[in-house]
Amino acid sequence: MSARMRGGLVPILLALAVAQTHAQAQSSDNDPKEALQELLSKALTVTVSARVLPPDAQEETPIWNAESTKLTLPGRSIKVRLDGENVRIYLICTPYLQDDGDVLLLAQGQVWFTEPLDKENRYFSTFYSIPVSFGEKVLFFPLGLSDADAQQKNHFNIELEIKIVPYEKKQ
Amino acid sequence: MCPDRQILSAYFDGEIAAPWGREIAAHVATCELCRAQLSRMEGTRGLLTEEEAQGWWAPMERVRLRIIGHVPLERHTVPAWRRQVSLPLPVALIAAALLLTFGITLAVLATRTNMGYIRVTKAPAGGTEYQFAVPYDKVEALLKSMGGAEANIESVMTIPKSVKLIPVGEPRMGKANEFPRKKP
Repeated sequence: MSARMRGGLVPILLALAVAQTHAQAQSSDNDPKEALQELLSKALTVTVSARVLPPDAQEETPIWNAESTKLTLPGRSIKVRLDGENVRIYLICTPYLQDDGDVLLLAQGQVWFTEPLDKENRYFSTFYSIPVSFGEKVLFFPLGLSDADAQQKNHFNIELEIKIVPYEKKQ
Repeated sequence: MCPDRQILSAYFDGEIAAPWGREIAAHVATCELCRAQLSRMEGTRGLLTEEEAQGWWAPMERVRLRIIGHVPLERHTVPAWRRQVSLPLPVALIAAALLLTFGITLAVLATRTNMGYIRVTKAPAGGTEYQFAVPYDKVEALLKSMGGAEANIESVMTIPKSVKLIPVGEPRMGKANEFPRKKP
């Protein structure tokens, strides 16, 4: 094959490659209903349960709890805000589907806290990346894990439980 | 007495003032010698003029025509659609392929009547790409139709004022089995 023929063959191959890529990109969005069903099959339900536990470590009955169930898509974050008298807590969860079928949970916690006595403001921001299975529980302690000293001071503990399951259409 | 040659030459060229010129003309009319000299001058001038015309006129005319030929007003302007462009063959083929792809894409986009606002593309490696081509509130409406009233972005929980919370350490997060003291 002469150099001239090779020179002419390269652009033809390039054109075929471009056409093939374009055809692949177009193949899956011909039917919006099919695309929507595909999207629904990937939807996720994220449940965030907040609990305030009494100082007594043996006591497991929460003195306050609340739950929020959010529907989302992989890569789309949900946000939960907890407002207290001197504390505001943000939990931002972004689930990603992994190739093995599990979920990679990216979570960001933000805590704004005002000291009761000196009114000093404190801010914590943390970021987590946790691979989980569907239904597996993840716990978030925005104010830390209570220790024995805190329990003696009768301070409450707050924890948030995160659970991600596939979306199931309600019948 | 005949005028000298220089005065006669000046007279021949018309450079002698009127009173003196008339005197010389009266003399020339009666002097055979001076008329013969003026006749030679006339012949010489005629010869020089003829040589000048024959030797320089043709080249000067050629240069003049050449200059006139490059005057912009007389140039013929070719319309853009009739101009000839020469390109190497590979470049021309690539340009044609790109134009064809662009045209096909435009045609597909223009003729699609059932364009969905969500596009799901499966990559050969197994990943899935979601593309939303709608305002954000439309997606929210979709999710709301899927999940009911709980589909807003941010939900707020209000902790009772009676609950006294203080930080007891750094925030922590992990799987439930990493915190054995807690039994939710």
